[in-house]
Parts: sequence; C-alpha cells; structure tokens
Amino acid sequence: MNAIKITNFHKNYNSVEAVKGIDLAVNSGELFGIIGPDGAGKTTLTRAVCTLLVPDDGTIFVDGKDVVQNVARIRAILGYMPQRFSLYPDLSVEQNLRFFADLFQVPAQEREERLAKLFRFSRLEPFKKRKAEALSGGMKQKLALSCALIHTPKILVLDEPTLGVDPLSRQEFWQILHKIRDEGSTILVTTSYMDEAEQCDRVALFFKGEIVGLDTPENLKNHYPFPIYKIYGGDLRGLKSFFDTLNTVHTSQLFGDALHVSFAEEPSLTDWKAWQAKSGGNLQRWVHHSPSIEDVFLELLREQT
Amino acid sequence: MQQILAMIRKEFKQIFRDIPMMAIIFIVPIIQLFVLAFAITVDVKQIKLLISDFDDSRASREIIRAFGNTDRFKIVGYTHDLNCVRGNFQEWKAQMALIIPPDFSKKMARNLHPQVQISIDGVDGNTAGVALGYAQGILSQFGTEFLIQPQYRSRLKDVHLVTMVERMWYNPDLSSEQYMVPGIAVVLLTILPMMLSAMSLVREKEIGTLEQLMVTPLKKHQLLLGKLIPFLILSFIELALLIAIAMPVFNISMNGSFFLLAVLAFFYLFTTLGLGIFISTVTQTQQQAMFFAWFIMVFMILMSGFFIPIENMPQLLQKLTYLNPMRYFMYIMRDIFQKGSSIRFLYKDAVPMTIYGLLIFSFSVIKFQKRVG
Repeated sequence: MNAIKITNFHKNYNSVEAVKGIDLAVNSGELFGIIGPDGAGKTTLTRAVCTLLVPDDGTIFVDGKDVVQNVARIRAILGYMPQRFSLYPDLSVEQNLRFFADLFQVPAQEREERLAKLFRFSRLEPFKKRKAEALSGGMKQKLALSCALIHTPKILVLDEPTLGVDPLSRQEFWQILHKIRDEGSTILVTTSYMDEAEQCDRVALFFKGEIVGLDTPENLKNHYPFPIYKIYGGDLRGLKSFFDTLNTVHTSQLFGDALHVSFAEEPSLTDWKAWQAKSGGNLQRWVHHSPSIEDVFLELLREQT
Repeated sequence: MQQILAMIRKEFKQIFRDIPMMAIIFIVPIIQLFVLAFAITVDVKQIKLLISDFDDSRASREIIRAFGNTDRFKIVGYTHDLNCVRGNFQEWKAQMALIIPPDFSKKMARNLHPQVQISIDGVDGNTAGVALGYAQGILSQFGTEFLIQPQYRSRLKDVHLVTMVERMWYNPDLSSEQYMVPGIAVVLLTILPMMLSAMSLVREKEIGTLEQLMVTPLKKHQLLLGKLIPFLILSFIELALLIAIAMPVFNISMNGSFFLLAVLAFFYLFTTLGLGIFISTVTQTQQQAMFFAWFIMVFMILMSGFFIPIENMPQLLQKLTYLNPMRYFMYIMRDIFQKGSSIRFLYKDAVPMTIYGLLIFSFSVIKFQKRVG
C-alpha cells in the first residue's frame, strides 16, 4: 500500500490554478522530495496531504484513508512541519515539546524516553530551557521537527524545512531525516533547493502546479540526453555569446565560476582546439560535467514550453 | 480532557510570561476604574457663583447666605458691575450670576412680585439645567420661609402650601460613582475578554502555530475551550478585583446577590468571548483584530447607556439598542448593585442577553474552521 496516494488533485485559489491535476504515489518508508521553485504549488500540496485543505477535485489517500473523510485519524498518524517557524516563541524548547506531547496524547511512560531521544538526535538538550524565539534558524527548524516527531508519526510531511537555514545546518537536518527514514517512517519533503534532491530516494519535479519529472535522482540525471561541459575562461560572458552562435550547442548557462554548455553531440578534441583558437585564448579549460538535478529541471522545462 | 488542560496550561504560561500583557490585564483596568469613576461624574457641585447685589438689604443678604450655605454653589466674587459678569463667564471664572435689583426688598414688602435675575453659562447644557434647578429650589424655599414669618402670617390664611418631602431611592446620596462603577465593570467585561480572545487567536494565526495546532488530533471544541477558559477565569478575577477595590474606595453599596451577578456575568461572557472568536476568523493580523474589536466596542459602549442614558436617545436609536447585548448587561449590573434586584425582575434583560450570547457564540464557533482554506 502506498503511504500517500494522490490522484488527479486540483486546487484553485479564486481564478488561479495552484495545482493542476497531479497524480503521485509515495511508497511506505520512502524519503520523497517535491522539488520546485517558489509558487510551484508545493505548500498547497502539503497542506492538502495534511488535511488542512479540501481538494477541488481528485482524491488524496494518506495511509489508505481519505483526507476529506478521515481527518482525525490521519492527523493522529501524521507529523507536519509547516513552512514558517510555527512554535510558541515565548515558550521554552522543553515546554514546546511537552505541549505537543500533551496534544498528541503521548503516554506518560513513553514520553520521557521520547523526549530524551529527540534531544539526543537534535542536540537541543543544552538549550531546553531557552525560549524558542532565542534559538538560531537551524535550531528552530530542529525544534519544529522534534515537535512534529513527538508522537512517532508514521508519515512525516515537511514544507520547505531548510528554507533560509545555513548550509551546515541543512546538511545536519538531512542526516536527521535519513535516520528517521531508516527507522521506518515515510517522509514527504518539499524544497526549492535543487541540490537537496540528491538527498531524497525519489523526487517529483514540480512546476506551475504540474509534475514535470518523477524518478530517483540518479535516473533523472542518467536520462539527461546531452553531454555537458564546464567551461572556464577569462571572460565568461564573451564565451557564452561565442558558444551561443554554434549550431552544435544545445544550451548554455552562466554559473558563478564557469559556463555550463550542453551539446547536441559529443564534441571532439579537434572541435575544442578550433574553438579555443577562435576565442582568442579566452577559452582556457573544459571539463566534462555530470548533469545536476538543476540541469535536468531546466531541460524538462524547456521541453514543456 | 488532558488536551484541554494542556491548552489551558500553555495559555497561562504564555500570559504570565508576557509581563507587559500582565500589566495591561491587571493594572490598566484599575487605572481605568479610578480615572473613569472620578472623571465621568454627572454630579453638579461647587457651581461658581458671582453675586451682584444692588439691593443690599436684609432679604437680599439672606438669599445670598442661602446660596452660600450649600456646597452646590461656591461664591467666587461680588460685583456691582454687570460687565464684569460677562468677563467672568468668558474666562470660565463663573458659571452663574445672581443679580438682585435695587428695589428687591421694597417690592417684597409691598407684595409686588419681587424678582431676581439668574444668568447661567449655558455652554454645558446639562450642568446649566441642574444648576438652575438648585437655584429654583433655594429661592422657593426662601419665599416660603419668608411668608411664614409672623408679620406675613395674616396673609397665609387662605394659602395652603404644598410641601415636598423628598425620598431618593436606591442611591440616596445621588453619588454618580454608585451609578458609574457597575457600568465600568460592564465595560471591562466587554473589552477584556473580546480583546484577549481575539488577539490570542489571531496571534497564533500570525506566528503560524494555529496551522500546527490544526494538524494535531486536537478537536475544534478542545482548541477553543483551551483558549477561552483561561480568559474566562481572568475575566472573573478582574471583575472580583474591580469590585473589591471599588466598594471601599468609592463607598459603593452592593445590594444584590454576588452569586446572581457571577451567573449572569458568565452568560454575558458568551457574547464577548464569542465576538472575540468571530473577530479572529475575519482578520489575519493582530492589528486588524485590534481595529475591528475597537470598532465593535465603541458602538457597544455608546449604545449601552453607559454614558448616555438610552431614554435620551432618539426613538430609532433607542430601538437599535435592543440589538446590543451590552445594553442588557448594563441594566442588569446597575440593577443588582443599586436595587438589589433578584432574577424575578432581571429576567427581562437576562433572557435576551443570554440568547444573544449563545447565538453569537455558536455562530462564531461554527465559523471558526480547523482548516486553512
């Protein structure tokens, strides 16, 4: 049975179609990522899964139960971490945790053990008396996650948990998610950071309310049809306009330190030598580059339009 | 039950942790009590009186003494210059002038309709009216006493004077505090629960915790009960505190039953807490909630008879006040305090008040959704 099964889910806000009929199945025990830019409809989707929104059309089943009819039962097995930091800023770390433990009716005998475990993996123990508002961004996210985990949910839904968190804390956060997944929970997570797709078992690439790609990160990248090179040089802008004139070039994209160029067919060494001569020494170095999820995403969007 | 208790505990923790909030809840109403009770006084006392006695006779001096003997008037000066009266009025130095013409005592002796002139600063019409009443009282008393002196007795043969024996019921001292303080308590029980519940719910919306609460198995009634019970308790503590301070300080007498008061206050709180929930469902930020609550509050207070007696309003507005739940509780509170009325007399107000309360409360609870859209 799928942990989450979404069929033809539609949601409109007034005249705006936020989500345009998507089908998606998340397997049990999977860490599933929904990757997409802001405004793609990721939050709408997670809210609907968490029974906070009623679909305009289509059905969503969570753990085999309909989100419209079995609100209470789904809420009991679901952990949800909304996009914005939403714990009580004026309560301490421990008070926040205990409050949610009360609401989820975690039995007293399990509670202390549970708290100790959450403190251990989140490393928030030394800060348990601190008010939540005084925590750093990364710690706040860990606390929010801990609160969402207090009742050992079967399914965990996280809406952009790493948004605005420093890279180190993001890394730590994903390690924690892996641990939770390894313990048997199903996780649905959204993010707008393309590189985080690599952390997921499977990802759905989400754009303007539609799924444009759905597979494991490996498969998505392997299916990228064009060879990509990272090209280094003195004047990257000049290089980009040079490559854009070539017939064999599929796309070119400027990154911070290099130009990423995908070719319709693998260029030969003689091609490179010729281009180097033509660019007047501007082209210094080229390295074969394995496509990133970002490259895949941009390619899929190009195919769409 | 455990979940409701968890909500209540959390709510109290948040209230007690927020020191400025505590100050607003406990100190501001007390300050309000003192300021309002002293400031909103309908008592007319120490009216500044200017005397212009052109007669200077025994009779005129007796009139002046009569005015001087009561604390309702305060003689601020004597003058023989009528322009001085105008000047004093304009500078707010005098509110009333008593002008006794030169032939006053002669006319009196000859039984020729003696007259005195009273000029009043009519800017504050209410005070002017009351002051005029006092002046009339003093002058008619003077006339009566004058007539029953021995030398005029013979004329009284055929005159039967009606004397008025006054008995002021319920508020014998005509103390305005006795009237205002219960009103202030009603205002408090309106503002405090409405503001607190609206703000606290909207605040959870603002910081996003409401969304978090919504996905917990906490049911709607548990969420609302957990939210509202602390404010209900706080409101009762406030009410008790206010009464405990006001009774000795302003010498207020409580003639009715505290128990009945508490029961009816409980029903009234359905209205104000319900309005608080309602406000939270139609606003997104604390600022919006504040303005909305303020808007409702001003109408409720103005149309409740707190400042302006409902009987003084135009017919149409008087009818509109029946839509205002606060109006009923204002009557109830004042009746219990002053007349010591029992439920036998109060049910006419208590029944509609309770119906409004339950209607507003149920409507708001239904409107409060455990979903985001």
